[in-house]
Amino acid sequence: MSIFIDRNTRVLVQGITGSEGSFWTNHMIELGTQVVCGVTPSKEGMEVNGIPVYHSVERALRNHEVDASMIFVPPKLTKDAVFEALSNGIKKVVTMADGIPLFDMVAIRHEALKHNAVVIGGNTSGVISPEEAMMGSFPHWIERVYKRGNIGVMTRSGSLTNEVTAMIVKQGYGVSTLIGVGGDPVPATRFAEMLPYYQQDEQTEAVVIIGELGGTMEEEVAEAIEMGIFTKPCVAFLGGRTAPKGQKMGHAGAIITGGKGDVEDKIKALTKAGALVADRPSRVGLLLEQLNVAKK
Amino acid sequence: MKLYEYQVKELFKNAQIAIPKSQLINNVEQAPAAFSSIGFPCVIKSQVLSGGRGKAGLIQFVKDEKKGLEEVARLFSLPQKISTLLIEEAVDIAHEVYASFTIDPVSGTALSIVSATGGVDIETLAIEQPEKILQTKIDMSLGLQPYQASHIAYECGFDVDIAKKFTQLLLKLYRLFVQYDCELLEINPLFITKSNELVAGDGKCSIDDNSMFRHEDISVPLADIENEAERLAMEEGIPFIQFDGDISLMCAGAGLTTTVYDLINYEGGTVANYLEFGGPHYKKAMKAMEICLKVPSKVILIVTFGTIARADVMAQGIVEAITKLKPDRPIITCIRGTNEIEAVETLKKAGLIPLFDTEEAVRLAVALAKEAKT
Repeated sequence: MSIFIDRNTRVLVQGITGSEGSFWTNHMIELGTQVVCGVTPSKEGMEVNGIPVYHSVERALRNHEVDASMIFVPPKLTKDAVFEALSNGIKKVVTMADGIPLFDMVAIRHEALKHNAVVIGGNTSGVISPEEAMMGSFPHWIERVYKRGNIGVMTRSGSLTNEVTAMIVKQGYGVSTLIGVGGDPVPATRFAEMLPYYQQDEQTEAVVIIGELGGTMEEEVAEAIEMGIFTKPCVAFLGGRTAPKGQKMGHAGAIITGGKGDVEDKIKALTKAGALVADRPSRVGLLLEQLNVAKK
Repeated sequence: MKLYEYQVKELFKNAQIAIPKSQLINNVEQAPAAFSSIGFPCVIKSQVLSGGRGKAGLIQFVKDEKKGLEEVARLFSLPQKISTLLIEEAVDIAHEVYASFTIDPVSGTALSIVSATGGVDIETLAIEQPEKILQTKIDMSLGLQPYQASHIAYECGFDVDIAKKFTQLLLKLYRLFVQYDCELLEINPLFITKSNELVAGDGKCSIDDNSMFRHEDISVPLADIENEAERLAMEEGIPFIQFDGDISLMCAGAGLTTTVYDLINYEGGTVANYLEFGGPHYKKAMKAMEICLKVPSKVILIVTFGTIARADVMAQGIVEAITKLKPDRPIITCIRGTNEIEAVETLKKAGLIPLFDTEEAVRLAVALAKEAKT
């Protein structure tokens, strides 16, 4: 079994009629995702690849049962779209936009916690369980990157995820579920909050964390391992080890400030907790082997 | 976006936070009038965005006009081309305080940071004397409450008169923080004058770039940015940092670019610049290369692995840029992701040798850079 989404998850797509929305909705369906309806205000009555479109989430829910919402709206409109999904009782949301205002992300995280919902993003490619389902934009047809297997992946990055995942596959492994928490300084969901799902998931035998400088999400993973919340093998790759201090380099979330966020500190915390840290993407698969993770 | 001190003080003034009397000048000729309006002693403060101005000698305390004019002439003739000086009255200071607002990503709240010991580098203080810093989480759906601000003031040990004034100041500062979508809004030092007034001695403000559409009234004068590559990048909104190494990075994807930066360092190479043209910029290969060519480097390394940032589109852009700009240095390409097969064809047709492995591309770039040096 995968986590977060599978073949049975019924997905609503907000912003389905836009160019990215319709393009990636088609790919989601192609992979086997159950997309049941879409929402774009003013476009009710339209169909996108046979999927009916409604003016609002509430109107869509009158005709469809929905488990999750995939949001393809521009950054300025993201907060409103997430609030709409949450207030209509949808408990799983993936929101992709790169460039969501910081204060909107603070409000989104606050609202998600209040509704006891899981919102993934923003600034992410989304969630994919290869050969199962996806919510987001992954080149799932590139087999050397997205192959099904037993490695859970969590990431703050997009292109780097393709890079690292390709290396995992090259070593003979595949992916159970990949979750992009996103590159924003305030992601709606943090690495450590997803670990219990990977812990429970039978398909996942090890987890790879793709992190980077800035913030404290990697340290929180180390803490979860030390507390016994997550006990499976864990390998991390962290970008920005040689980055100059105090410089915003990379994602908005990637800046070292206040003595926190330095990659060396993250490596220390993860290593102390028993995780292995790869110094380059090509080493990730080798470290999984070193931890005796079976290839299946 | 970081604002200049004088811009931050303008915001303070509009929010009724007191600032010292001051005047801006852009050349030596304007100095005498400014001095006569501000009087002596006064402080001459260079308007640059980098920190550590005091240590760099970019802030000068002067007691008379002769010394003042000397300093103005010296600052305007520095190699970093300072275009604006702030002439500010010297305040009668009894005590200095630190106050700021930022965001705490873990709790998803705002964070008020206050220290009764101001005028120092707060990050150093956080490490050396953390007990002197008061941090308070603020639920942004409610906002900073007066009781919280007042509690903070008394926790700082202020007497009643100062505490009341500080409470009001903190509430004003929080409103400004929210109004302008600040990543950081800081007063440091906040002067408590000998007559018990609170005056913002210096201010820092960094506005969230993603929120700029809500703040069309604010902009940083780009003409003040001396480095041409940097200015071009800022105009386009392309993330760019210049270093002084040999390999110019023209990559896509923030995390991937940072990783390539690391790999170059591991292989013994040096980076000339960081440039990331992924995400919304993936169709800007021409601009990206134009910027890279303004940076002195031995080789340009292009690494991408995009999804929405399609490989074929970027490859096409790169070939067009090479045709038009005729780069004077070798270009290494490692372009993968959506439509990568088409991308490889495009690059081959243009006579480039497309690589497919990031680490191999990095090793080649380091080797070419070394070769070019000898």
